[in-house]
Amino acid sequence: MTQPKCTDPVILNQWYPLGAIDEAPRSRVADTVLLEEKLSFAVAGDGAVAAWRTRDGLKAGAPVEIAALTDTLPAISAYGYVWASLGTPPVKLFPIPEYAEPDRRNLNAATIGVNVSAPRAIENFLDMGHFPYVHTDILGAEPHTEVKEYDVEISIDRDEILATRCRFFQPMASTTSDGGADVDYIYRVPHPFCSVLYKSSPLDETRQDVIAVFLQPTDQEHVRAHMMLCVLDDENEDKVIKRFQQTIFGQDKPILENQYPKRLPLDPRAETPIRADKSAIAYRRWLSQKGVTYGVIPAAA
Amino acid sequence: MIKLYDYELSGNCYKLRLLMSILGVEYETVPVDFYPGREHKSAWFLRVNPLGQLPVVDDDGLVLRDAQAILVYLAARYDTSGTWYPRDDARLLGEISQWLAFADGITATASAARLHDGLFYDVDIDACRAGAHRLFRILDEHLWFGEQEGRDWLCGAAHPTIADIACFPYVMLSEEGGISRQDYPAIRRWCDRLKRVDGFIVMSGIFPASRARAA
Amino acid sequence: MLDQSRNRWHPIAASHDLAYRHVFHGQLLGREFAVWRADDEYVNIWENRCLHRGVRLSIGINDGRELKCQYHGWRYSNRTAGCTYIPAHPADAPARTITNRTFPAVERYGFIWTAEEPSGEVPEIAALPEGDLLVLRGIPVNAAADRVVEHLKTYRFQPVGALDADGAEVSVEAIGDFSLTLAAREGASATRCVLFVQPVDAARSVIRGVLDKQPEADERIAVLRHHNQRLSALRETIEDAVRGEPAPAPIEPVFERVSAELAEMPQPTPHGRKATLRVEVARKWTAADGIAGFELAPLGGGLPTFQPGAHIDVHMPNGEIRQYSVINGPGESDRFSIGVKREPVSKGGSSCMHETVREGDVLAISEPRNNFPLRRDATKTLLVAGGIGITPLLAMAQALHNQQLAFELHYFARDEAQMAFRDRLDTLGEALRPHLGLDPQATGDTLSALFSDYQDGMHLYLCGPGPMLEAARRVAADRGWPESAVHFEYFKNTNEIDDSSTFEVALARSCLTFQVPAGRTILDMIRENGVDMPSSCEQGACGTCLATVIEGEPDHQDVYLNDTEKRSGTKIMTCVSRARSARLVLDL
Repeated sequence: MTQPKCTDPVILNQWYPLGAIDEAPRSRVADTVLLEEKLSFAVAGDGAVAAWRTRDGLKAGAPVEIAALTDTLPAISAYGYVWASLGTPPVKLFPIPEYAEPDRRNLNAATIGVNVSAPRAIENFLDMGHFPYVHTDILGAEPHTEVKEYDVEISIDRDEILATRCRFFQPMASTTSDGGADVDYIYRVPHPFCSVLYKSSPLDETRQDVIAVFLQPTDQEHVRAHMMLCVLDDENEDKVIKRFQQTIFGQDKPILENQYPKRLPLDPRAETPIRADKSAIAYRRWLSQKGVTYGVIPAAA
Repeated sequence: MIKLYDYELSGNCYKLRLLMSILGVEYETVPVDFYPGREHKSAWFLRVNPLGQLPVVDDDGLVLRDAQAILVYLAARYDTSGTWYPRDDARLLGEISQWLAFADGITATASAARLHDGLFYDVDIDACRAGAHRLFRILDEHLWFGEQEGRDWLCGAAHPTIADIACFPYVMLSEEGGISRQDYPAIRRWCDRLKRVDGFIVMSGIFPASRARAA
Repeated sequence: MLDQSRNRWHPIAASHDLAYRHVFHGQLLGREFAVWRADDEYVNIWENRCLHRGVRLSIGINDGRELKCQYHGWRYSNRTAGCTYIPAHPADAPARTITNRTFPAVERYGFIWTAEEPSGEVPEIAALPEGDLLVLRGIPVNAAADRVVEHLKTYRFQPVGALDADGAEVSVEAIGDFSLTLAAREGASATRCVLFVQPVDAARSVIRGVLDKQPEADERIAVLRHHNQRLSALRETIEDAVRGEPAPAPIEPVFERVSAELAEMPQPTPHGRKATLRVEVARKWTAADGIAGFELAPLGGGLPTFQPGAHIDVHMPNGEIRQYSVINGPGESDRFSIGVKREPVSKGGSSCMHETVREGDVLAISEPRNNFPLRRDATKTLLVAGGIGITPLLAMAQALHNQQLAFELHYFARDEAQMAFRDRLDTLGEALRPHLGLDPQATGDTLSALFSDYQDGMHLYLCGPGPMLEAARRVAADRGWPESAVHFEYFKNTNEIDDSSTFEVALARSCLTFQVPAGRTILDMIRENGVDMPSSCEQGACGTCLATVIEGEPDHQDVYLNDTEKRSGTKIMTCVSRARSARLVLDL
């Protein structure tokens, strides 16, 4: 048994996305990196998935028969991605029930490499205050800069962070909206390096679009960010929906890559939180309580 | 109306959006799913551009590919000020062509490094970064002496040209390929100047600068 | 060598690197800096990290007065590096102790010098006369500073005036750990070149050269190119030489922790009516008929960060204490300017300032306190000033103007001669709307017209004499302005204070209970029981001694809270207000 490079058991024993199933050629080897280890994965014609430590004789692009593979890693298919683990992962991945609704458009908006630690990227995903400055005229616009009070809880039974009653003024809330409005959000952090947001749908006020970021840490300071969309939109082509999300993510990227230190400091005195950062404060505490050390600078004991 | 076959995160497409914004030219966008869909290699797009590359413009039936070529066309055709590509100034035209070719070198190095880091392209990343630094040293030196001689732009004119627009995007996006601009202070100042040109617009990955000095 | 180098001064940029409204990205011994020159020429060298989320400030915006972070729009003031505005919470004044780490900046020999922990002054360079030097292009080198210095001993160049020849004799005149002085002679021409090697990081340096004379204009560029070409060639040699060697690990800078109170999104820190700053009256002038302007400069060190709307307590030579609004625009943080109106019936405050205080006098002042904070998320802001009420609104107007936000400053004054701070007013352009010589009736009509077009998202700030404020608040209410959009500041509380009641006060967090007898204030009794409590005007106008009421019914006698706040019964000004109930429980 190879000794894993990542020595943080909390992080090692999670599921991580490796790639979008729609983009993987069938029954061929694809190479990637997870937690500093070279991995390969493949998707069979029937949708079965497999992942293994990269080995000689199975080069990227080569045909592979998944059923015949031995010595593979735990792997599942979920939310349009191949997920794998280098440790002993939980029996089930966190639920996103909306993904199964028949009228949803489920897409991988893109998988993009970012020079940042996974927890910094999660914090950015939870953050609303930057909308007018980073996503100017799309997700926010001056002078509407206020982050109104919202609620955050750490759900003990589900072991996830939940931020509710979030609202922010958006001049163009999605591809289907054409005016400014206060948009409602709910944020979930059900996995140390995954987050899911629910945002009021411009099409149906009783339902919400679901946007998730699933991070595949390639090392402590680099991630592959997989952006999943699960939206209500019967009008736009896939590529238009993807373009919107890629524009947003592309705007966050230089911010993330200019954050220092790259690893998320868990010492409460490393940075200056404000009330708007309640969800980030909860997230940092949650990581501390779990004893996470990978991708973070742990608080001095 | 001009049709631009466009991908939001492409610096080469952005060059054209930027020039058209500055010139006040109206256009419509045909989105191409460059990533992850690889639509630029799809059958329909290869009929538009057999090289399978973005950007392409279609101006009333004239279909042009290659960002630098399209900059030349747009400026020659639509720039009423006649400054972005001064057709009667042989010396400037020579300088502009020289820097358009330099821009191709930036694309081959800095842009390739960005594609490697962000979109997982299989390239020799060390060679790309080293090549970009070699070009940036040359560019910084040129711009530093420009400042000393009272020249703000790449070419010997009192105004920017399409040469500046051609070189700007992948310089600005270089950090996404792990290429810091900290060692190139004159390049950083030139980027600020370009961001203050009337009609300047941003793309994902490029921030605005402070406002220009009041006239 | 690098360990001791933290105490030394190093050049980290050339003066010409700090272009107009640019942010230079510097680094010394592994620590990055955001370096920017404000419009008043002050050079700021800051830790290259926004205190909020660690984003580099070198990608931020230098607006000439403040540096704005790209991530959340936090604004940091020129000089003090204190945060002046947090857009996510537009109604709050940021805790003024949110201050970025600054490093000393000295401009000398054509360079910007700094040190992490300087001891002594920027070194005197014997070879360099002051003025008329020629600064060369900085050459970044991927090699450790000591290796660069070693190679620079072999640097060969031609003196100014003999560039075309190639036989100059070059000698090393002086050499240090991070610099050397070379002299080149050829015939009658001689030039000294001082080369500083800036240790950027363990394996990165910048060669910063300067010549001891400015060549003739027609030779200047040729000299610069000569050195650039030769130093670039030497760089190739150095980088080739170190290429095979193991690179030393980058230096990890240690970031200072933020204060414990800031880590927990604190309440404002309590401090009493204390004069913590000593200032000198640097300038006193007639700002308008009957209004004296004062510029107060710090005695040693700098001044704390202020925000528009803030006031300071001025402790006068005669023992009186008065509050004056800081009228400065954003980033003007080298001195505080205030305006003092001579009151016809002065109790000794304004007459002392007008008659006794002179330029050169030293006064004690409090830190600036902001109980009249300016939101900057309004779709449009109306500022309405009456007379000397211009002072806080002038600071606000300059901040809004600098950010190009929509606003109007309506200034009601008796006549042109009574309009104070004309030079500042004139920078506001169209936004300034004077209303001169109106009687109360005409004032009311004008206000009525001004307030006629309320729309959601607009905000109104009022400051002026009591009767005008009362009228303006009434008109605004009539015209449909919600109380939450109307902000005001009274000069003083003209209410007759009734302090005849007796009641009990409990401080919940301090676990104290005491009686407040007739003739004493809650504030007095809080202090008497050993609890520190900030205060300023002590007459119910400024808002400093605000406390939260947990239980009981307050008897409001102040002019700071608006009617909704008073009705809610959850806040109290402890300097004048009392209790209607037998007992009050305060969150202190």
